[in-house]
Amino acid sequence: MRALIRFGKQPRLRFISHLDLQRFFQRAVNRTGLPIAWSQGFNPHPVMSFGSALALGWTSEYEVIDIKLSAPMGRKRTEDAVRAALPEDLPVLEVRMVDDRHTAPMALVRMSDYTVRLEGESASAILGQIPSFMETEVVPAVKKTKSGERTINARPLVLSMEPTGPDSFNARLMLTESQSIKPELLVDLLAGMAGVEAPRVRVHRRMLLGLDAQGNPTPLMAL
Amino acid sequence: MSLSERIENLMMSVQKPVRYMGGEFNAVMKDPERVDVRYAFLFPDTYEVGMSHLGMKILYSAINAREDAWCERVFSPWVDMAELMRRDGIPLFSLESRTPVKYFDMLGITLQYEMSFTNILEALDLAGIPLRSADRREGPFIIVGGPCAFNPEPLAPFVDLVALGDGEEETQQTIDLYRQWKAAGLPREEYLRMAARIPGIYVPSLYEVSYNDDGTIRAVTPRPGSGAPEIVKKALVNDLDSATYPEKLIVPYGEIIHNRIMLEIFRGCTRGCRFCQAGMIYRPIRERSIEHLMQLADNLVSSTGYDEISLMSLSSGDYSCLPELAHQMVERFAAKRVRISLPSQRIDTVLTDTLKETQKVKKTALTLAPEAGTQRLRDVINKGVTEADLIRSVTDAFEQGWSAVKLYFMLGLPTETDEDVLGIADLAQKVRACYFSVPKERRAPGLRITVSASVFVPKNDTPFQWAPQLDYDTVVHRQQLLRQALSRVKGVDFKYHAPDLSYIEAVFARGDRRLAEAMERAWRMGCRFDGWSDQFRYDLWLKAFEEEGLDPDFYALRPRPTDEMFPWDHLDCGVTKAYLLREWEKAQRAECTPDCRKGCTGCGMKRYGACQGR
Repeated sequence: MRALIRFGKQPRLRFISHLDLQRFFQRAVNRTGLPIAWSQGFNPHPVMSFGSALALGWTSEYEVIDIKLSAPMGRKRTEDAVRAALPEDLPVLEVRMVDDRHTAPMALVRMSDYTVRLEGESASAILGQIPSFMETEVVPAVKKTKSGERTINARPLVLSMEPTGPDSFNARLMLTESQSIKPELLVDLLAGMAGVEAPRVRVHRRMLLGLDAQGNPTPLMAL
Repeated sequence: MSLSERIENLMMSVQKPVRYMGGEFNAVMKDPERVDVRYAFLFPDTYEVGMSHLGMKILYSAINAREDAWCERVFSPWVDMAELMRRDGIPLFSLESRTPVKYFDMLGITLQYEMSFTNILEALDLAGIPLRSADRREGPFIIVGGPCAFNPEPLAPFVDLVALGDGEEETQQTIDLYRQWKAAGLPREEYLRMAARIPGIYVPSLYEVSYNDDGTIRAVTPRPGSGAPEIVKKALVNDLDSATYPEKLIVPYGEIIHNRIMLEIFRGCTRGCRFCQAGMIYRPIRERSIEHLMQLADNLVSSTGYDEISLMSLSSGDYSCLPELAHQMVERFAAKRVRISLPSQRIDTVLTDTLKETQKVKKTALTLAPEAGTQRLRDVINKGVTEADLIRSVTDAFEQGWSAVKLYFMLGLPTETDEDVLGIADLAQKVRACYFSVPKERRAPGLRITVSASVFVPKNDTPFQWAPQLDYDTVVHRQQLLRQALSRVKGVDFKYHAPDLSYIEAVFARGDRRLAEAMERAWRMGCRFDGWSDQFRYDLWLKAFEEEGLDPDFYALRPRPTDEMFPWDHLDCGVTKAYLLREWEKAQRAECTPDCRKGCTGCGMKRYGACQGR
């Protein structure tokens, strides 16, 4: 049996790196008192995986961790135990028990919804570029990867984007191994189009999504 | 913009932002409106170093157990953060509530290491608190404690109170007194005078220091009418089973130096190694019972989720029922996959049984500290181990499947000669031979021997407090001698450092109040994080001494006559000067003193009525 746990990352803890968060959860699951399944092999560790890494500095209300249990447990008891083992700035938001055949959340993620807040004076100029960005078919962008720089077309990676206030916008962005774009890069592109300098941004993840049997975008926890 | 937001804005631009983040599991949050005393506890080094320190965890939990007080943590911001904080006018802040340190009632600072002293000045300055006690009209009272508090004289003008000895109870007393003082609406100086009557509390500003013509101390006396005692005796917690110990530990997000449960199995050490300050100032030996330790371990495992328990003490192999303790620990926690580890392994304890136990869960590195390369010199320092002990220990370990050994030595010990130094290489060679004496099929592959040689620093309150530190050039000569000798032993990694840092450490370890000026000057020139070799600025230190007209050799290199009055003689660390002197004289005759569990050696602890010595 496995527990899928959706949790949030509040502003205070947005500087924890993904690696540190993984280590943190190794200890956190020990604190739950739940029957955690351990991996076999030379260096056993609790069997768990994350839906998707969250970049340093971002906040979220849709982080998903998948923890394997060695014995069946009720949903409510699992939820209470996990909540007690996490600090208040990593709030537990939703728990779902699934059986071992359930596809790993990591393999289901296709896209992510973000709210991006722009700091500074250039916000309105940048937000003003959103319609023309969405109307364009090709937006070249330089993406920095481990192997170097690569020019990609950013446009198809942006599924939707709309202003939500004087200094913020929502966007649904592709998030797969081969196709993804970070909100910061998107803001850089918009700033370039507006001819202004890219401001400091605050990124908040609202949801991770996959596709249901009909191919419709669906919240990860509902798949 | 709030202070918290301004801090967060800097965090994207610095290394390791988790250092400044707070919000860890088990960090204590309280409503500031509902406490009377806000206590900031500063560890004057980085978060990773400070969060690995047991004393801070104990006091954090002890203070926070009170409903009327809230203790929050403060660490030295690394140089990148300090620079940005100054640029943006952000004051030093606590991790829990991000409150400026200057708004706290009390600021406790732990003195673990002389080379963190400038970080205290840096912290006060970043906090916007006047450096000198005499210039402070408001803001927190500054209380220092920890091992270096037994010679706090170089810090005397900067601190308000010095807490000697065990902090569990005296810290509470300073807080109780603070409440009384505040309720009575008395002037600031009055708190200091009242605090001087708490056992273990030393108030430097209430003492007058006079000097002889040759620069040595003539006398340190309480100011007339101050009511301060002539001799300040250290505070002592007699029964550790009833002393406060954390049931929860803060679990950091980032990696820190010691990221595990630290379980103090006993305090004090009876060995009497003559170079070791901890072995003197933490006397007498006080053990926690197995029942109590098991209970503490249970609580800590479930409240932290850690997978390792380190059985801490100055010499864990000396715990009177170690095999039983190790056995019970392994049995209780193996199913939870919690490892048990023993730090500072001595080479003369019967390792095998304990090693077998710990190995069941996971192998830990074998670290041995012969300290000196020849038997004669080991006798001088009273490290009561023989080559045969070492050979037996490492052979046992290799047979049990260990393949990595770390050997720690000191260079520049009193009476050391080139021959003693070459003895280190000889010992390394013998350790190597032990490994190959174990049949190939029974030993683990990949022998690694690390030889580390630090430079000996004579410390106050030890038998070697009369000894000169070895001069720079001779240290360098012996390091090179050893390096060449070890280069002929295959598979040995030799680690050593330039002696300059140890030299400044030696100056402050046995320094007096006059050094405060040089310290402040060095800090103003940019010295801080002096214990970090990449930050240490020897040139600036030498310049600061010169400009202040002080000769650092006077403190570090001068042989001290046995009748000299020391700057710390009015602070009673438990063992008497007469005992230390006897040990110094025996050292020069290379005469050993047995472990005092085998018979009282008359160190002076009986005066405290706390020692079970026979």
